[in-house]
Amino acid sequence: MSEAAQYFQFVLAPQMLIGLVLGVAVILVALGLTIIFGLLDVINMSHGEFYALGAFVALALSTIGLPFWLLLLLVPLIMLPVGYIVERGLIQRVFHSGDRHVRTLLLTFGLGLVMEDAFRLVFGPNPHRPETPIAGGVEALGIFLPSYRLFLIIVGTAIIAAVAFVVYRTRLGAMVRAAAFDRDMAASLGVPVQHVYAGAFAFGVALAGLAGVLLAPIYSVFPTMGRDFILMAFTVVIVGGMGSITGVVVAGLLLTQIQAIVSLYISPVWSDPIVFGIMVVMLMVRPQGLFGRLGHG
Amino acid sequence: MTAPVLETRDLSINFGGLRAVDQVSFTVERNRITTVIGPNGAGKSTLFNLISGALRPRNGQVLIEGVDCTGRPPYRMQAAGLARSFQITNLFDELTVAENLRLAAQILEPVSMAWRPVRASGVAQARVDELLERFGLADKARYIVGELSHGEQRRLEVAVALACKPKVLLLDEPTQGMSHGDTRDTAELIKTLAADVTVLLIEHDIGLVMSLSDHVIVMHQGQKLAEGTPADVRANKAVQTAYFGHT
Amino acid sequence: MVDALTRSMRASHVLVAILVSVSLVIAAVGVAFDDTFYLRLATEALIFAGLALSVDILLGYTGLLSLGQALYFGLGAYLSALVLMVVPSFWAAIGATALASALAGLIGGFIVNRVRGVYFALITFGMAQVAAKIVYNTRALGASDGLIGVPVIDINLGIVTVSSASPAGFFLLVLAMIVILYAFAAYLLDTPFGRLLIALRANEARIPFLGYRTMTPRLAAYVLAAMIAGLSGALYPMLRGFVSPELMFFETSGNAVITVVTGGAGILVGALYGSALLTLLKSVIGSYTVHHLIVIGVLFMGAVIFLPKGMMGSIRPAIERMLARREPK
Repeated sequence: MSEAAQYFQFVLAPQMLIGLVLGVAVILVALGLTIIFGLLDVINMSHGEFYALGAFVALALSTIGLPFWLLLLLVPLIMLPVGYIVERGLIQRVFHSGDRHVRTLLLTFGLGLVMEDAFRLVFGPNPHRPETPIAGGVEALGIFLPSYRLFLIIVGTAIIAAVAFVVYRTRLGAMVRAAAFDRDMAASLGVPVQHVYAGAFAFGVALAGLAGVLLAPIYSVFPTMGRDFILMAFTVVIVGGMGSITGVVVAGLLLTQIQAIVSLYISPVWSDPIVFGIMVVMLMVRPQGLFGRLGHG
Repeated sequence: MTAPVLETRDLSINFGGLRAVDQVSFTVERNRITTVIGPNGAGKSTLFNLISGALRPRNGQVLIEGVDCTGRPPYRMQAAGLARSFQITNLFDELTVAENLRLAAQILEPVSMAWRPVRASGVAQARVDELLERFGLADKARYIVGELSHGEQRRLEVAVALACKPKVLLLDEPTQGMSHGDTRDTAELIKTLAADVTVLLIEHDIGLVMSLSDHVIVMHQGQKLAEGTPADVRANKAVQTAYFGHT
Repeated sequence: MVDALTRSMRASHVLVAILVSVSLVIAAVGVAFDDTFYLRLATEALIFAGLALSVDILLGYTGLLSLGQALYFGLGAYLSALVLMVVPSFWAAIGATALASALAGLIGGFIVNRVRGVYFALITFGMAQVAAKIVYNTRALGASDGLIGVPVIDINLGIVTVSSASPAGFFLLVLAMIVILYAFAAYLLDTPFGRLLIALRANEARIPFLGYRTMTPRLAAYVLAAMIAGLSGALYPMLRGFVSPELMFFETSGNAVITVVTGGAGILVGALYGSALLTLLKSVIGSYTVHHLIVIGVLFMGAVIFLPKGMMGSIRPAIERMLARREPK
């Protein structure tokens, strides 16, 4: 085998695969963030904590013996009413003020702080590592990949495709997009805008929770898990275009690959400044991101 | 011969395929009231946006006192002597009437005053007092804009535009949504303005237009259909069909 | 006639005077009981009040939410520490910080002021994050450990000399600095320039038609805020003897925003009271539980929902009415 092929097999390809796994993970979290922004015009600063909440709920339920596969279904279902209540009970209270952007951002920021500290209070500050649901690994073309990561890539892709299908191809999605484009027009056409808003927030939060369950076996569960992850998710949403689903997928894959390559050739510690630097430059030259907003164009 | 205070030459802009303003040329005489009329969607407000620098024309020119100001941003149009009001009231809602006027009038103060306390110079304050009196808002000076009636807000909108002592004042439907009595009072007020400022007006109330204007420009589908004295315009056949309907 | 905005600013002065009086009492009590811990804590509260003050100039006056003000606070802290380790002079540290933070604010201002609204919040956040990570990775700046061993300095004020190690002396010096920064900001906000900032927040779209570029005042406000944040940060290593990259992290920026919103935005004095309140809460709750963030977070959310003007913003109108009654007609 040539040296280049060996280099690819043992150095580059594993690194790119790690990037791909992270990419799918980030996209799952960023999807909810971008849907909430695209529809409600709300920057959900507590999104990372909802991701953590999903992981903690799964952790708690698994101690009473519920299997991982059931939790994958159950946790998002638990998150739905939580998100719905947060939207109706908290966000709607400041939603109609003139300063919607700032006040909803501040409110969700406060909520995130409270949730993070609550996790610490209930579960303690130390990381918990759930057992990997699928042990072992697979080898393809001489590249080794743990089975669970392969599973994550497949399931993650399926979820992303399903979300895109719901938003772009179903009647429900059409209502959501109509409400995003013109709230009053949608309301006059009989779209229950209030429920669409709360529902979209709940949906975004449930997605974050699902990501929490899926990623816990890889990245562990700890109170600040959302904080570290959400920065990357925000970057992906901004670069992709706030409110764009396509944008999240493209930017998510692109940025995590950049991160993986930078880690390899420069140093892992410089991957963060470079990725955030891309975000700043993107905001400067093209604040609307690579792709347009949900419901627009 | 002195240049006209405001002139447009072949002013044009497209929105997508729509020719919102199409080769509009006219001149505005000093210290006259010139009114632009036309049905909804004729391009009147777009024309104002082009002249005031809110939009950049695709073709044509805007000249203020003979100086080509085409494509300048609004703050440079203001420096050239042009000010405008808005069809939808566009004020500083959380501030009082006096503070709104003071903000608009502070451009009259020398630049060296920018870093001195607001009380250091009386120039802006004198202008505020004068406008409060002239627009009948003196007893409302300390009210927040949101506390004013619609008619008062519309009057303040004009006063704010006038505060910087412009040479040309563009008024976009100043009587929009006003009661009959308020409309008449405002018309009287505008008439008195013409003594020291050139007024270009958009107005829907035809009775008002005819009694107020020295000169009328009729727009239709982005183009200038006709212009002349109110009587000329009223007699114009094309205007009658396009605008007044069939009389 | 005094206009309403000038009178509001005077009401803020009254509240600052009250705060200063209370601080002097605290200093006297501290000296009497030979206390170090609480005086140092109060000094830190004042330093972070300076950071919050800079957030308020942007959020409360210009209408721009900065989620990255820790960038300039950290810049001031690091630069001050570096200067003090070479030349143990208060004035050298302050002078260098003033210059550097103005310059950094100008450069940063050109970057962040290209966008507005929610994008402004995100770009300030991103820029601070880049800077924080760079500092975190730079060995010359102590990387994740920060810089330790900043010497105790004697601050020559002409008449007296104050040691940065003296709890009461340094507390009073920081109090004076923060009051000066407040007075400087309050002065500028009561000029035509300041009125323009208030107008920017109220209705940015109308400003160009009044004859002003919006970029100039926005940039000027940003530079002013950067300088205030930088100068506040410069005091930090004098108090603690070290600086760490945490000073530049989002937690620091976020805390400053919480401080301003809880204390009251758009009144300057809210930043000072907010910082005092939050420090007090943290130390009181902290003596019972480590989970003070739950309480502060709930309080903050309550302020966002029920008290959009914040604590002091809800109190100030009463003082304004009092002042109005005392004015000559």
